[in-house]
Amino acid sequence: MTRIFITLVTTTLLALSFASVAQDEDPARAGTSAEKAAAAGASEARSREDFRAIDQEVQSLKKEVLDLNRDLFLLEEELLFPANSQVAFFVSLDVGEYFNLDSVNIKIDGKEVANYLYTEREADALMRGGVHRVHMANLKTGEHELIAVFVGKGPNVRDYRRGATITFDKGIGAKYVELEITDSVKKQQPEFAIKEWE
Amino acid sequence: MKLKNSLIALVFCVFAASSLAAGNMEGQQAPDFALKSSTGENLRLSEYRGDVVMINFWATWCGPCRQEMPHLDALYSRYQRVGFNLLGVNIDDDSGRAMDMIEDLGVNFPVLFDARKEVSELYDVSAMPVTVIVDREGTVRYVHHGYKPGYEDMYLDQIRSLLRE
Repeated sequence: MTRIFITLVTTTLLALSFASVAQDEDPARAGTSAEKAAAAGASEARSREDFRAIDQEVQSLKKEVLDLNRDLFLLEEELLFPANSQVAFFVSLDVGEYFNLDSVNIKIDGKEVANYLYTEREADALMRGGVHRVHMANLKTGEHELIAVFVGKGPNVRDYRRGATITFDKGIGAKYVELEITDSVKKQQPEFAIKEWE
Repeated sequence: MKLKNSLIALVFCVFAASSLAAGNMEGQQAPDFALKSSTGENLRLSEYRGDVVMINFWATWCGPCRQEMPHLDALYSRYQRVGFNLLGVNIDDDSGRAMDMIEDLGVNFPVLFDARKEVSELYDVSAMPVTVIVDREGTVRYVHHGYKPGYEDMYLDQIRSLLRE
């Protein structure tokens, strides 16, 4: 009987001591988990900021590459086509109801220098008012002969091939030549002209 | 002395490797071109930017080309709707023969005519057929010279991986 009583008392005491330890530990545990959550939140915010900074850096690098590419392109052009001997040829299309452009062939002084095929999209861009730089060359000062042959579909979707020629004088400084396709409502035909721009 | 010789050999190897790499088009920007197609319209490579493009150089006198074309057509029909395009570039002097062969084989992909051989020179075509695969950014990723049965499986893997990029 005494033994049973002693066992009971010991068990109760042990249970009480465990309970007190548990009570002491609970707030501490709660404290650590809150701290952990706060730390996790802070690190997430930091990584988000880092990510944003990296993204900005990548964007600025991309911009720098694009700028560099543009500068190199301009530099290359300046070196290859010095302004003094430069001649640029442009193609423009006004209305284009009587002519569906397929290709333009350019000969300078009897030598073929460009043969450009126009896709549907490119021809459409020209019809919307776009101007296409079809060729760029370096020419000596003096007289030069230009022959432009326009190929496409004419009125009633017939195959159409027409040439235009001009003798132009290349002076000092850059020169711009426009190959212009227009509609002649009177003739119900397309017209081809070559214009010089100074 | 030995070290010097091996160093020279190493430098030579590096130069040789770099010159070989320069001769290879893989990794370079695909040269742009425009050619007349079998449907009569002009097609320009750069207008397909954003799609994976296979350029297949072929000729009517080339047996393996004839063997390869139905497989290419199957690839085109299967993947066209998900951003894959195939341009067959015929290098015959007479486009009439090429048209006959296209009809004969029932090929559906656009065939372009390079009678002046300007585009095949641009792509340094030294064998027949030559198949060039260009990624969405316009970079040449794979170049295959010739054709052997089974190559179509390799094409399939490469196209699928480029479409996934």
